[in-house]
Amino acid sequence: MPELSPAEVGALAAAVGLRLDDPDRAEIAHRLNAFLEVLAALASLDLSDAEPSPVPAPTPAPTESIGQ
Amino acid sequence: MTDDLVYRSAADLAGLIRAGRVSSAELVQAYLGRIDRFDRVLHAYITVCGERALAEAKAADRALAQGRAAGPLHGVPFAVKDQFDTAGIRTTSGSRVHADRVPEQDATVVARLRAAGGILLGKLNLTEFALGGTLTYPFGQPCNPWDRTRETGGSSSGSGIAAAAALAAATLGEDTGGSVRSPASWCGVVGLRPTWGLVPRSGCVPVAWSMDAPGPLTRSVEDAALLLSIISGPDGRDPWVTPARQDPRADLDRGAGGLSIGVVTQLVDSPDTDVEVRAAVRTAGERLRALGSRVEDVSLPLVPLAGAVFMALADSEAAAWHHPTLATRGSDYDAGTRRRLVTAALLPVTLGQQAARARAAIRADLLRALERVDVLLAPTGPTPAPPIASAQAPIASRAEAARRFFNRRSYTTPASLAGAPALSLPCGFTAGGLPIGLQLIGRRFDEATLLRVARAYERATDWRTRRPPLQD
Repeated sequence: MPELSPAEVGALAAAVGLRLDDPDRAEIAHRLNAFLEVLAALASLDLSDAEPSPVPAPTPAPTESIGQ
Repeated sequence: MTDDLVYRSAADLAGLIRAGRVSSAELVQAYLGRIDRFDRVLHAYITVCGERALAEAKAADRALAQGRAAGPLHGVPFAVKDQFDTAGIRTTSGSRVHADRVPEQDATVVARLRAAGGILLGKLNLTEFALGGTLTYPFGQPCNPWDRTRETGGSSSGSGIAAAAALAAATLGEDTGGSVRSPASWCGVVGLRPTWGLVPRSGCVPVAWSMDAPGPLTRSVEDAALLLSIISGPDGRDPWVTPARQDPRADLDRGAGGLSIGVVTQLVDSPDTDVEVRAAVRTAGERLRALGSRVEDVSLPLVPLAGAVFMALADSEAAAWHHPTLATRGSDYDAGTRRRLVTAALLPVTLGQQAARARAAIRADLLRALERVDVLLAPTGPTPAPPIASAQAPIASRAEAARRFFNRRSYTTPASLAGAPALSLPCGFTAGGLPIGLQLIGRRFDEATLLRVARAYERATDWRTRRPPLQD
């Protein structure tokens, strides 16, 4: 996977309204490239049946409440 | 007042106050004295509410003398992470951005602890906005009570310190991806992440709405159960909270006999797991077997991806929340926080969707495993507390970023992604004297079984009797 350069990261950030200095651009490039590499591994998984719900399916109604 | 007394559990202290053997005012003064002695170095507290706490304690003592006890924490001094709103007391979230923010209303969990009679001692330090990765703490570098050169774990850093060093009777933190369990592990105390949807997040500055879970850090499993029983249940403000199915204290002393425990091999046997940590966790499994549990290895193949999946999702949620402030006041953020948030803001949405699908798969694996066993067992983290300096070194490569951010988070984030309850408690010490945390993960809304196993293990060992070597 090609790596994003600090200059490219700076351009992407500017596109979403965020200004970065040189140290930020350099480190964010490392962080973003690490993300892109590790998340690329997800492409090899069969996730076609996994519905991307952020929370678990509803659970049966409780029979007793002890909460306040 | 002796050290023995301030190290007693909150449940014990409540009993002593009720019996008239110690007053709330004496206890508040004792903890304030310890904060004055030790916190200049440890930096557990951002704000100490000394005068107010003492006035409330005296009022609690007068009420008790008149036969009016407020509840199970009557007169007991507690402290909360500075992520929870407190009426009239600044709530900084550990950030210069919120340095002068004073809420008008208590967070639900704070209001409930106070309604139960607890006395709020103060607000506890944290990584900036509870995100982790803070390089320079605006309110002082939190230090591990067991070794001041070591990290405390985060984001509930001050909560871990204050519980371990007896700077409060009990504390409250918030766990998104391990922020209660990690400091509990590295500071040598009990930390409980409740089931997502059991404890209201109202008045808690958010990290990631779908994973944030307020929870206690305490010196005993009994106290964790006690605090959970107080803070759980609907409040009419957080729409996702459902009533608890049972009192978390119901089965506390039934022992671990007859229960099944699954040891997560991908975490225990990972090459990232320190040898002393692995040995302590395996030994803990054997101890539970000796207590009558059936202990078996369980394989969860997707778990090593959990750290990266978590960060893709949680950080994106956080980046969206912070974006307006980040665009206008970026330089007010700590550099570590700012870089983490901007990284998430630049992630492609398609990768985010893949991460969301991976989350569902990880959750399904974990919950399926919990249909076969009652509780899962793993290390809370791969290592004991690392040197503070190691977290502050610049990130100079993609590999270094991956090593530092993703791998270690794969230990605590599976429970976060699944919305399952998880708990860390001490299971040993390294040869160098640093605590090691044992993580137990339970079925959703079955904190009672989780706490039962933890309590059985705690009673069979003496790890909780050790105290950190504090210096003035």
